Amino acid sequence: MLLYGRARILTRSARWARSAHTVRPRVDDSRWPGWELVVGIEVHAQIKSRRKLFSEAFASDLTSPPNTHVSPFDAAFPGTLPRLNPKCVELGVRTAIALNAEVQRRSAFDRKHYFYADLPSGYQITQQYAPIARNGSLQLKEDNISVRIKQVQLEQDTGKSTFLPRNRLTAIDLNRAGMGLMEIVSEPDMRSPEEAGSYVRALQALLRSVGSSDGNMEQGSLRCDVNVSVNRVGGPPGTRCEIKNLNSVKNMMVAITCEAFRQIALVDKGIPVTQETRGFDEEKAETYSLRSKEDAPDYRYMPDPNIPPLLLDKSYIDEIRHNMPELPDATRARLLSRGLFKRDVEVLMLVDSGREVGYDGQLGHGAVAYFDEVSQGRNPKEVVNWYGITHELLGQLAFRNETFSENPISVQQMGDLIDLVSSGKVTGTSGKTILRHILSTRTPDLPSKIAQDLQLLAVSDGGASLEKWCRDAIAALPEEAEAVRQGNAKVVNKIIGYVMKASRGTANAQDARGMLLKLLRP
Amino acid sequence: MFARSRSQCPRLSGSLHFVRRSASTQISNAAVNAIVSSAGSEGAFATRGSGPLAGVTVAVKDNICTKSLPTTCSSRILENFTSPFDATVVSLLSTGGAAIVGKANCDEFGMGSLNVHSVHGPVVNPVGLQDGVPVERRSAGGSSGGSAAAVAAGFCDAALGTDTGGSVRLPASYCGVVGLKPSYGIISRWGVVSFADSLDCVGVLAKDVSTVRRVHNAIAKYDERDPTAAPPHVRALASQLCMQRAAEITATDLKGLRIGVPRDYFPKELQPSVIESLQKTLDQLRARGATVVPVTLPSTPYALSAYYVISSAEASSNLARYDGVEYGLRVEPPPGANLNKTANVYAHSRTRGFGEEVKRRILLGTYALSADAFENYFLQAQRVRNLIKADFNRVFWAPNALKVDASTNATRTEGVDVIIHPSAIRTAPPLPDAQHGASAETGSLDAYVQDVMTVPASLAGLPALSVPAGSGSDAWPIGVSVVGQWGFDEMVLKVGEVIESCQAGGP
Repeated sequence: MLLYGRARILTRSARWARSAHTVRPRVDDSRWPGWELVVGIEVHAQIKSRRKLFSEAFASDLTSPPNTHVSPFDAAFPGTLPRLNPKCVELGVRTAIALNAEVQRRSAFDRKHYFYADLPSGYQITQQYAPIARNGSLQLKEDNISVRIKQVQLEQDTGKSTFLPRNRLTAIDLNRAGMGLMEIVSEPDMRSPEEAGSYVRALQALLRSVGSSDGNMEQGSLRCDVNVSVNRVGGPPGTRCEIKNLNSVKNMMVAITCEAFRQIALVDKGIPVTQETRGFDEEKAETYSLRSKEDAPDYRYMPDPNIPPLLLDKSYIDEIRHNMPELPDATRARLLSRGLFKRDVEVLMLVDSGREVGYDGQLGHGAVAYFDEVSQGRNPKEVVNWYGITHELLGQLAFRNETFSENPISVQQMGDLIDLVSSGKVTGTSGKTILRHILSTRTPDLPSKIAQDLQLLAVSDGGASLEKWCRDAIAALPEEAEAVRQGNAKVVNKIIGYVMKASRGTANAQDARGMLLKLLRP
Repeated sequence: MFARSRSQCPRLSGSLHFVRRSASTQISNAAVNAIVSSAGSEGAFATRGSGPLAGVTVAVKDNICTKSLPTTCSSRILENFTSPFDATVVSLLSTGGAAIVGKANCDEFGMGSLNVHSVHGPVVNPVGLQDGVPVERRSAGGSSGGSAAAVAAGFCDAALGTDTGGSVRLPASYCGVVGLKPSYGIISRWGVVSFADSLDCVGVLAKDVSTVRRVHNAIAKYDERDPTAAPPHVRALASQLCMQRAAEITATDLKGLRIGVPRDYFPKELQPSVIESLQKTLDQLRARGATVVPVTLPSTPYALSAYYVISSAEASSNLARYDGVEYGLRVEPPPGANLNKTANVYAHSRTRGFGEEVKRRILLGTYALSADAFENYFLQAQRVRNLIKADFNRVFWAPNALKVDASTNATRTEGVDVIIHPSAIRTAPPLPDAQHGASAETGSLDAYVQDVMTVPASLAGLPALSVPAGSGSDAWPIGVSVVGQWGFDEMVLKVGEVIESCQAGGP
C-alpha cells in the first residue's frame, strides 16, 4: 500500500454565508483596539463506535498495526456496498440532542469526490445536502455566550498517509478509513481566541459526557478547521480565511491570534484580505497560504445512490432523548445543589472528563459517578472533604502518577474508610495511612479490617493510653514542656507531634492537646 | 492484506466439450468468445445433487465477483483481479445446487450495447455460425453479450448478466434467447461490480422462460448486505398485488389481461420487420383473449438522454476507485513525471487501464457532476427520471409497492397489466471490422440508440423480459419485451411464457 506522491492537505468547501453577526455587546480587545474578530469553527469528531460507519471492520486504536482493521469495503474493493451502522446514527442523534439541535427526521448521504491515496474509493460519503441535525447551540458559561450550531453531519473518516521523504513514498494506513465522523459546524459567533478555546473545550466535554466521541485532539479524534475574519468596529464583515488541521486547543488559539494580526496588518496597509485556505506553522507561529478560493477543487457532490435516505421515527428520537446521559452543565448544577463548593465541583468534573469513553455510547465510570456512589447515604461534603475524594485520593493518585481510572479503591472501601474516620474509630491521620496502604498494596480488604491489622484503631481505654503517651512526651521534651508551662502555647504543637508519632497516628490530635495542657498547666 | 489477485485463468482457446447446441452442431468457445475464464469440469463449482438448481449449468457475467475465478469486468485495469469474496448471487447459485461453468465476456464494466468494448475481444453472435463456423459475424449485443451467447451456443443452461439500461434484454433479443431484468432491488447487488448503482440489476438469461424463472426464484432473495434491496414487506405487498392477476393467466386463456402498447416506442430507426413481429405477437395474444390497448408514456423521448447522464455520472463516481493502489493494474509514472498531485499519479494507471468507451463515459459523467453542470444535467436528468416513473405508474392498474402509500392506494379498474414493446430497434447489427474500431463518433452514437427501447424500464426500476418473437427479414432473431409494475416479475414471466408458447406454435 505504497504510493508515490507528496503529502497534501485535504480541504473542503467553505460554507459560511455570513451577512450578519449575532448581536452582542462588543468588548474592546486590548490586543487589537478598534477591531472586531469573528471566528467560526468546524469540528470533526470521530464517533466512538465499535465498528466503522459503513462496514463491519472494528475500530482500531493507536496500538493497532497498520492495515489490520480493513474490510474489503474500506479498501473500496469492487462489488462492496455500504451498510449504515445504527450505533453511529444513535451517537449522532445523542450529540445533536445534547447540542439542542433539531434532529432531522429525514437526512441523506452524498459523495464528495477527490483523488487522494488515503481515500480508496475516490469519494467520501458525507451529508452535504441533508445533514442529520440543524440549528443547535452550545452555551459557554464562563464567557456567558451561546454559540449557534449550524448543523451536524455524519461522514466517513479517511485513512492516514505518511510521507516518507527519503524514498519519496507515501505509506497508507486504512485502519481509520471509513470510521464515522461527526462534522459539527458552528456559526461565526465567537469574538476572541479565548472564546474559540472555550467552545472547543465545552464541545469536548459534551461529546465525552454523551459518550459519542473521546474528543481527543492530540490523538486526532477531534480536529478543528477555523474561519477567521476581522473588521473595524461598526464596519462591514471582513473576508474570512480558513485555517485547517489544528491539533490542539492551544495551537488553535495561537493560530487565531496570529491570523487576526496578519489580517489587521493587511487591511491597515490597504491590502484586501483574500479568501483562502491556510495552514498553521507552530514553530514560526504564523499561518501560511495553502490554496486560494480560485484553486478550490470541485468536489462533484452527488447523492449516494447506494444509501437510502435516513428516516428517523419520532419514537426513536424520543427514546434517545429519554435516555440521555447527564450533560456537564446539569452535573455541575446537581453537585452544587448537594452543597459542594464550586472549586471541588470543578476538580471533580475535570477529573471526570478524563474518564475512558466506552464504545457505542457505553458510559465510562468516572470520578463523578464514583462520588455519587460513595456519597449514597453519606454527607456529600464529608465524602469530598480532605479525607475524601477530591483531596486525599486525587492528591495521592496524582502523586503516584496514576489516573482516576487506575484507582484501586472500590466504592465499598472508600465508603467504609469515610465512615471509620467520621465516626472517630480511626483518626484522620490513620485514615490517610489506610488510603495509602490500599493504593500501594491494591488490597481488596475493607479499611475496618486494615485498621485492625495495622493496629490503627483509635484506642478507647478511657484516656489511659493517651495520658501515658503524653507523659512520655513531656519527659522526652523537657525544654519544650517548660516553655509551655511558661505560657508559650505554640510549642505544644511540637509535643503533640511526638505524641502522634508515639501513637502511630491513632491518637486524636485535639485530645492530645487537651491532655497535654491539662498536665502542663493544671 | 487480502488475497491478492492470482494469475488469470488462461483464456479459453479450446472447445468446451460439454457444450452442445444440437446433435449435429458443436460450437467452440473460440468461435464466439463468450466464456473468458472457465471453471473446468471439477472443483468447487461442480453441481450438487440437491437444491432447486441441481443439474443446472450457469455462466456468470465477468462483472460479478467470484472467489475462485477472476473478475475482470472485461477491463485491463482488473485483468489480474480475483475478488476475495463471492457475490451473494454466486453463493445462492452454489447453495441452490447449480454448477458455475465460467465467467462470461461483457462490455467493459457493463458499458456498451454490442459487447465490442472488451479486453477479451468482441463476442460473436452464435446465430451466425453454421456447423460451428462463423458465416456472418454479428454482435451478440451488450453488455451481457457473453452471457447471451453462452446460452445461445449451448455452453450452459442459464447465465447471469447485469442490466443497467438494457444489457440483458438487448443481447437476449439479438441472440434469440430469453432475458429477464428483474425489478430493481429484488436481486442482491452485493458482489456485483457497480457501473451505475441506481440502475444496476442482476438479470437471468436462458433458452426458455421456465429456466429463467427457476434461476430467478433461486437468487431473488432479500440480502441485508445490499442497502438498496427491497425489504421483505415490500416484496410481499408487490407479490400479493401481482398474484391477484397473474394467477389467472394460462397459456391458452388470457381473458381479462390488459396489454398496453406504448405509442411512444416506435422511433424512426425501428426496422419494419421488428414492427411486424410485434404485431404478430399481439395478434396471437389477442386471439387468446387478451385486450390490447394503446398507452402513452410521453416522457419516453427524454429517457435516453437522462439515462446517459445518470448512468455516466454514477459511473464516473464508481470507477474512481480504480487507481492502482489497493488492487488492479498499476502503471508506474515514468521518471520525471509530475507527481505533485495524487491524480497525476493515478492518471498513468487509469489511462492505460480503461478502454475508450469507459473513458468517454467517465468524462461525460464527471462533467455532469461538476458544479457548473450539476443543475442542468444531473438534476435535470433526475427530474426526467421521476417523470418516467410517473408515466409508468399512470398506465398500470396496480400501484407501485415502493411508494409508501401503496398499500392504501386503491387499485384502478382501468390501467394495464403489462406493457409490450419491441426489445430492440433491429436485429443484431454486424460486428465492426477490426480495422474500423467501434469508437468512431457516429458508431458510438448508433450504439447508444440501441438502448432506446430498454432504458425507460431501467430508469423506473421495473421488471422487463425479452422473449424471442420470430425473426426479421434477415432471418436473425427478434425479441419483444414485456414490462410490468414494480415487483410484478412473475407477471412478466407468465406473459412471456405465453408468447413463447405462441412461437412454438402451441395451443
